Amino acid sequence: MSLIEIDTGGIARSLSQVADHSDDQVDLYLEVLGETTVGGRDESLAAQIRSERGLAVRLLRHGQTWLASTDEISAAAFSESVALVARARPGAVAPPPRSIEVAPPPSGDVGELEDFASRVAAAIRRRHAAFPVDWQLTAHLRATRVVGTMLAPPPQEERFYSCRVQTPAASWGSLFLSLDATAVESVADSLTSLFRVRKAPDPPLGATVLALGPSATAVLLHEAVAHVLETDTLALTGKPESAVGVRLGSRLLDVVDDPGHAAEAVRRTVDDEGMPVVRRFLLREGAVVEPLADLAASAHGPDLMPGAGRRGSRHLPPVPRSTHLELLPPLDPAADILEACGNGLYLRQFSRGRLDPITGDLELKFPFAREVANGSLGKLIGPGRIRASVAGLLHKIAAIGGDMEPAGAGWCAKGGHRVPVWALVPSIVIADVEVGA
Amino acid sequence: MRIRDRARTLCERLTTDRVALCEVFVKEGRARRSEIGAQGPATVMTSEAGWAVRGGGDSGTAFVFGTGTPPSTLGLPAFGGNSLRLPEPDGERQTEENGATGAPLIIGGEAKSLLEAIARELGEQLSGARLLRAVLDDGTSSSCLVNSRGVDVAFRHRATLLHLEALWPGDSMARTVLEVIERDAQRLQPRALARRLADSLTVRRGAPAPDRDRGEMVLAPTVGARLLGALRGLWVGAGAAERARLLTDRDGRLGSTLLNVIDDGRLAGGPLAAPFDGEGVPTRRVTLVEQGRFVQPLVDWREADPPRWRAAGCIQRPGWRDLPQPGPSHLFVEPSTNVAARELVASVARGFYLLEVLGPVRVALDADRFAAPVSGFSLEQGRARHAIAKAWLCGSIGAFLRGIRGVSRDLAFVLDGGLIGSPSLLVGGLELRRELAGSLPG
Repeated sequence: MSLIEIDTGGIARSLSQVADHSDDQVDLYLEVLGETTVGGRDESLAAQIRSERGLAVRLLRHGQTWLASTDEISAAAFSESVALVARARPGAVAPPPRSIEVAPPPSGDVGELEDFASRVAAAIRRRHAAFPVDWQLTAHLRATRVVGTMLAPPPQEERFYSCRVQTPAASWGSLFLSLDATAVESVADSLTSLFRVRKAPDPPLGATVLALGPSATAVLLHEAVAHVLETDTLALTGKPESAVGVRLGSRLLDVVDDPGHAAEAVRRTVDDEGMPVVRRFLLREGAVVEPLADLAASAHGPDLMPGAGRRGSRHLPPVPRSTHLELLPPLDPAADILEACGNGLYLRQFSRGRLDPITGDLELKFPFAREVANGSLGKLIGPGRIRASVAGLLHKIAAIGGDMEPAGAGWCAKGGHRVPVWALVPSIVIADVEVGA
Repeated sequence: MRIRDRARTLCERLTTDRVALCEVFVKEGRARRSEIGAQGPATVMTSEAGWAVRGGGDSGTAFVFGTGTPPSTLGLPAFGGNSLRLPEPDGERQTEENGATGAPLIIGGEAKSLLEAIARELGEQLSGARLLRAVLDDGTSSSCLVNSRGVDVAFRHRATLLHLEALWPGDSMARTVLEVIERDAQRLQPRALARRLADSLTVRRGAPAPDRDRGEMVLAPTVGARLLGALRGLWVGAGAAERARLLTDRDGRLGSTLLNVIDDGRLAGGPLAAPFDGEGVPTRRVTLVEQGRFVQPLVDWREADPPRWRAAGCIQRPGWRDLPQPGPSHLFVEPSTNVAARELVASVARGFYLLEVLGPVRVALDADRFAAPVSGFSLEQGRARHAIAKAWLCGSIGAFLRGIRGVSRDLAFVLDGGLIGSPSLLVGGLELRRELAGSLPG
């Protein structure tokens, strides 16, 4: 049963009164958030429970947005928000909707989170390592619903976990769909590598061949493809629609954003503006097919299809963002990505990525690497970074593996919108990349 | 039932044998955001309301928070982590409330006009320069806090935050970001803000720094404030006293006689000014450094050691979702009353006028070293000669603090884990380098 039960007809009637221009978009956005967090040092964890609900009414007219948001879900809060965004007093006042009801979000299981921390600690000990760990483990539930003047799409729910860890060596974080054995080993592996890398040599400076594991590939695509092709990024330097057809990278690159193909726990049928999500080819054979657009951007041309509108919070207007990126394997994927690399570095993950939206320069930091020699993994290498132009880097992608896996899940915080992002990607090889310490 | 009564009722109901200590915090606020940028103009009117409960005792704590008004009752999860300690009331100042919180929220048309005026002024002052994004957040809030030890207080906040991103296109393109926080939007001056953006864009197109150079440095308020904020370890927490002691000279001085460092939670006109802190402890003005001598660190009631160190009421709690943490509210170098910044600049025979810090300041307190990426102008006989796009301001922390030879009256604040402020400073004993030599933590 949905957490959000509402009188969609009554809401639509009220919203219609605000839409007094033919191309006005008016919608109600309902948001229910529940989080259970345990945090603290080692086994001594304290619990935090968060329970939020609220709504926002938005009017989009000729590219201008008015949004009224509140931390309450009720007919009165809705009516007040409608009045705030209305540009003129309606001729007749529609009766308030019969009901806008939400159930409180169920509390997450504190024991499940504590148990995860214990299992990771045991997995670290099995790796013959020991160090203090400051935990922040959270179970997230986000339920949303959008109602427009014409559409009342179904509610959406996302359930996932986030992990933020601080050790004496480094801080590290990731998102998970479940706290299963794979997640335990992944966290333990990362933390142990971060601990051991303190004594590892610096990466060799200069041009080298990089093999990127799925997690690192996902971060690269998020920064270098998704952010680059968001219409708010494109609008900083020109008309977003003029990007269509531009060859951004290697012909091996077929990149898709498909929120409907994400894992079931975070799968979406509509975006945060109530528009149906689509399987959107961002790049086909390295060329731009369709930028990531929301409703506001879609008014600028037929090449800009909505369906990628996301809201970090009800208190912010929607922005175009990716949700679930996929890099499609080529017809003849590299059977062994390390062999395809030959001699170079293997990067399992990036700790941070940053795109300059004006120049297209990209910086990616990696917390550790492994040497690759004659197609085999070698010693642990210390942290480093890559600085390159987006096009320069994407054109150097020389091989793509067939090892598609869910990877690189994390928070995207561009422009103050903190949203979870997911990916299904294989490993790749990039030739001739300048690496710095 | 009034919100404060609901908080009292909930606190009473939660305080049981199992829950030895309990605190209920409630905050309501209204804000208006006006934005211009690539996504088109936007106006956001926000009404926020939330509550937070901390409960626990020796066996640990739990923290529960949510939207709306406080519930009539609540189930707390099992306690864990550190034990909970809560302050007792200050008998004399329990009923104090700050009343008027300044001008009403800026209305949409005014905000849009203000942002457009900044954009227009920028274009006039620097041909070709333009605003990429401008966001004005104007908000007011009221809070109340009740705990099981008898604290029962209410207070208000009022603040305006302006965020500007500007671009000067061309072969050597320059971009800059400016953030300004004020008590209310009436204090924002479009011409002055555009001037700061234009200056910043101009110096960012300047020449590289000399390989190494010394001389007198005039640090603009933003630079002084960023350095002060980076030295937070010298000012905040009980450990600060020992760190400061290691940096004092043989005369027992941490800084020059012109250096006075203050934290004032109720600074007149300060955007974070309030009569109580995030745990309901009265705020006050605390002198941390007086005429160069370290007086005491900024400590909360847990770390206070009167009469040596007095508690400051320095627990920061930006919102109901946040756990309270000790930190500065308005931490600043005390300005002079009569010295203008231009007088400091005019006094420099040969040196630099540093306008901005371009990235994180690197500090190694143990090694008594710091380095900050900066931009500004070279000075000769008190006049600007060349713009310097980027250089590293380097030196000893002690040399910086003791090398302060002039303090002006133009106090300004930056947001840096609280509001950190400084007037323009004339400083000797530091070095400007093109490249950063050696390693310092980032």
